[in-house]
Amino acid sequence: MTVLSRHLILVISLILMSLGTISAYADDHEHKEKIHHFELFQSLPVLHDGRVKPLDTLARNELKQFSGKDHLEDRSAIGWMAETLFDPGSAVNEKIFKVENADVRHLMELEERKKPLYSYLELSSGLEKTFPIVEDLLKSPKKSMSPEQKALLETHENALEYTQLLRSFSLLLPLNISVPPKWNAEMRGKGDDAFKGPVTYLMLKKIDQPLVDSVKAIIAKKGDDPAKYNPEEQATAMLSWQIRTIEDAARNNNLLKVIPDPNPENKGEWVAPWDLIRSGKGSPSTTATLELWSKLAEFWQSGSDKEWTTTLKQLAHPDALRLKTEILYNSIKPFQVALLAFAVSFALALLALSLASFRKGWIIASVLAALVALAAQGAGLACRIFLLERPPVGTLYESILFVGAVAPFFALVLERKLKNGLGVLLCGSIGILIGLLGMTMADEGDTMKVLTAVLNTQFWLATHVLCITIGYGWCLVTSIVAHALLVGRATQRMSGDQVKTLETSLGTLALTALLFTATGTILGGIWADQSWGRFWGWDPKENGALLIVLWLVWIIHGKIAGQISMTVYTMGMAFVSAIVGAAWIGVNLLGVGLHSYGFTEGLFWGLGIFTVLEAVLIGALGWKIRHPSKQKETAHA
Amino acid sequence: MVPEGNFVTFVKRIGNRLARPDILFWLLPLLMGLLIMGTVAQKTIGLYAAQERYFDSWIVLIGPIPFPGGLTLIGLFFINLLCKFIFRSEWTKEKAGTILSHFGVIILVLGGLLAVMTSREGFLVIPQGESRNYIEDYHARNLVIRKTENGQDTTLIAIPHDQLKDGTHISDAGLPFTLTVTTYCFNCSISRRPEDRQENWTSPGKFMMLSSGEADPQDEKNMTGVEFEIKGAGDLDGNYLTFDGFPKPPQLDIKDAIYTITMERVRRPLPFAVELESFQRDMHPGTEMARAFTSKIKISDPQTGTVFPATIEMNEPLRYRGLTLYQSSFDLSGDKAQTVLAVVENKGRVFPYIASFIIALGLIIHLINRMKRLSKPAKADRA
Repeated sequence: MTVLSRHLILVISLILMSLGTISAYADDHEHKEKIHHFELFQSLPVLHDGRVKPLDTLARNELKQFSGKDHLEDRSAIGWMAETLFDPGSAVNEKIFKVENADVRHLMELEERKKPLYSYLELSSGLEKTFPIVEDLLKSPKKSMSPEQKALLETHENALEYTQLLRSFSLLLPLNISVPPKWNAEMRGKGDDAFKGPVTYLMLKKIDQPLVDSVKAIIAKKGDDPAKYNPEEQATAMLSWQIRTIEDAARNNNLLKVIPDPNPENKGEWVAPWDLIRSGKGSPSTTATLELWSKLAEFWQSGSDKEWTTTLKQLAHPDALRLKTEILYNSIKPFQVALLAFAVSFALALLALSLASFRKGWIIASVLAALVALAAQGAGLACRIFLLERPPVGTLYESILFVGAVAPFFALVLERKLKNGLGVLLCGSIGILIGLLGMTMADEGDTMKVLTAVLNTQFWLATHVLCITIGYGWCLVTSIVAHALLVGRATQRMSGDQVKTLETSLGTLALTALLFTATGTILGGIWADQSWGRFWGWDPKENGALLIVLWLVWIIHGKIAGQISMTVYTMGMAFVSAIVGAAWIGVNLLGVGLHSYGFTEGLFWGLGIFTVLEAVLIGALGWKIRHPSKQKETAHA
Repeated sequence: MVPEGNFVTFVKRIGNRLARPDILFWLLPLLMGLLIMGTVAQKTIGLYAAQERYFDSWIVLIGPIPFPGGLTLIGLFFINLLCKFIFRSEWTKEKAGTILSHFGVIILVLGGLLAVMTSREGFLVIPQGESRNYIEDYHARNLVIRKTENGQDTTLIAIPHDQLKDGTHISDAGLPFTLTVTTYCFNCSISRRPEDRQENWTSPGKFMMLSSGEADPQDEKNMTGVEFEIKGAGDLDGNYLTFDGFPKPPQLDIKDAIYTITMERVRRPLPFAVELESFQRDMHPGTEMARAFTSKIKISDPQTGTVFPATIEMNEPLRYRGLTLYQSSFDLSGDKAQTVLAVVENKGRVFPYIASFIIALGLIIHLINRMKRLSKPAKADRA
């Protein structure tokens, strides 16, 4: 914690110091309009969270982490990133920190506003005030913190991370430092003392050692009270102190890894600019890269669009296809497109079912929209497979994306059989539900994560994981068909034939769901045997999968043996959604894997409410079927 | 005596009753209930304890109410399924899928039974460049007194930790001293011994004190230890302590023999020796997240006289002489890298492979048969 507070205090002082800096060399917000070309800039590679990704992804994720959105009202994430990196003095005024917790706002003495977004400058005094509280908080485990305490800690952590970004290039940005003439001449070379351009840390670094020696000599002569120094000595001591302050503020600054590690032994590693300076492991190639970044900062500040583009071309990564694909993925947001298309398809299917005229046309339009949605979802998954070089499902979020493709697809296949619009209606509703679930789960920064060693296996990700997630998909389709059947029977809107067809489909769906979940579960056991030498260990994931299998077996056998009626069987199949929710998502709440408190807590209650609502809904529909309002009851064994 | 014909009828009657689907119908909700309880309990009591309490037991007490344990429920399930398979299967082509699936489940449960009966787990901790020919148990710990004389180690006493308590007195004809446990803790925490309580204590126990801490849900993390008093050893009489993993256990030098008192995981011999040549951990670049762990080892088998190198990685275990050695953990904190390999012996490990194939095949055949039946519109549908 001491590192945190010292670091932040230093950075605050530095930011304030550099506020005047930039205005001397750039026109503050002017350049926002001057630079328009971010295409090349956003595809510059950066190593973050174990993966080389375009700067665009990092910018979006950081901004989303701070503000909850991946863009600002008036500019893109990459534009914001450029300002943060190249003009920190202006960037600190940008309102990017979302402080939703009212207690935290009160504690930090932030003014109340419609959207609780604050700039770093607005936060800084509150951050300083709450340091002692955070210092104490860090001594206790995160589990025992209240939501307010977590929110406060999170605000501090975000601010700290932001300062990392702000200071990433502080070594090559112009500084608001006046250099005494003697040192200026030495720094710039003796023949060039007329030149009065901006000073950067890298330039000051050249005179660092003689400066330190000079200060030592002054202290030896006059002691350590600057009041006793003459003006020239004071300027020398001040300059030395300023260099130390910049270095201290950049301690541990390693977020922006944009330079490939020059050491051949560290193949695949990248370093941040300050890493290079601190470790002294620069090489001619890294010096050249750093110079290019330096030029980029200069051109950005001066708004020289053409030179900016030329420099970016020199910095561009040779393997740009992957980076460009990711940028395309970021900008198109295929899963949101899919969600929208599913919603359109759902609305069209509703029209088809409620309107008597032009019914076939509505159904065709609805199917087309569903196909667009599936194509978008599939393209998104394909992008991720290409970018991550592994099968599509490795995390909980990815399993949601995958089920979001397969379950609606299965429902659409059902439409081929039913041909009455019901299949495509179900397709749309599953697509919307899973799409919304996916959106709530995507809040955790970069969703394209590298995997831990035990999951890092192509074979098992492609077999067990896909098999079980396809099983979840079938289960959800089974459940939603059962819901439709219950609604149809309870409202007595379905004809006997329609009920019969759906019941038959339900049976087939349930068996298919059982096939995939049972096989997937056993394959999981075999993976466990391969990795850990034991087939079954009763761990939550295994138990969750088994629970689904047992539930399906129970309902299917109960029906075959005549223990339960068709209505109860349908109700049981409808409730599979809640069982899948508990087994698929619920078991993750038990573990320590999910670290974000709000996320876990929200999910826990969400899942609980969903289960209760399902139970109530299914129970009510079942009751209605047994107690029909009119004498139109059809016999169902 | 029951006549033979009557006996067959009797068995058939019993079998038929045991095969009835109502048993399954009431059994499955209980099994699901147990599964949920056993899973949720893991959050508080840990995987191992929950497994022992809910799944490897006949009866579980939920408060004061007895509930059938995993062994009871799975046992009944197995009997029900076996009887159904033998006595009530419809041996027709249409039912081939169902029969196959049921057979697959029987094999799966049989494999599980065999695994419960035969599987043994343990682990090997090997520092780089060293060799081990025994495995240690994850859970069972012993208080061990070992005598070293002329370079020969002999285990004199090994008492399971759960038989120890404050006041346990240990004496033996082969021991030149007696030992009395003064403090036993299943999960010890170490603190500084107050100065006024250091009398009669030998170093390092003079400065460190064991006290009972809360048991960790992860059983292997519990550090079991004892404080004890030695009498009859002349000058060496006094108070000592030892605990699981203690690098400096008490050693008493009496009459040219050294008696070492340790609290250690129960050891079992391996039929071969495993030497760690190197351990490597690869990280995802720029992160603290491991991408791969690799142990390069050498196996020396004295019975066959073979020596061969092998590599164990995550998801790539070594199988040799009925044992599976897999990468479980590591320790890079000391001078030498140490690998931790888990060792599992399970004679039933082939069963799930066969079972999964049969079950999947059975369900596929069943589905195909169903589709065929449904495509003939005249015939009635059954789920």
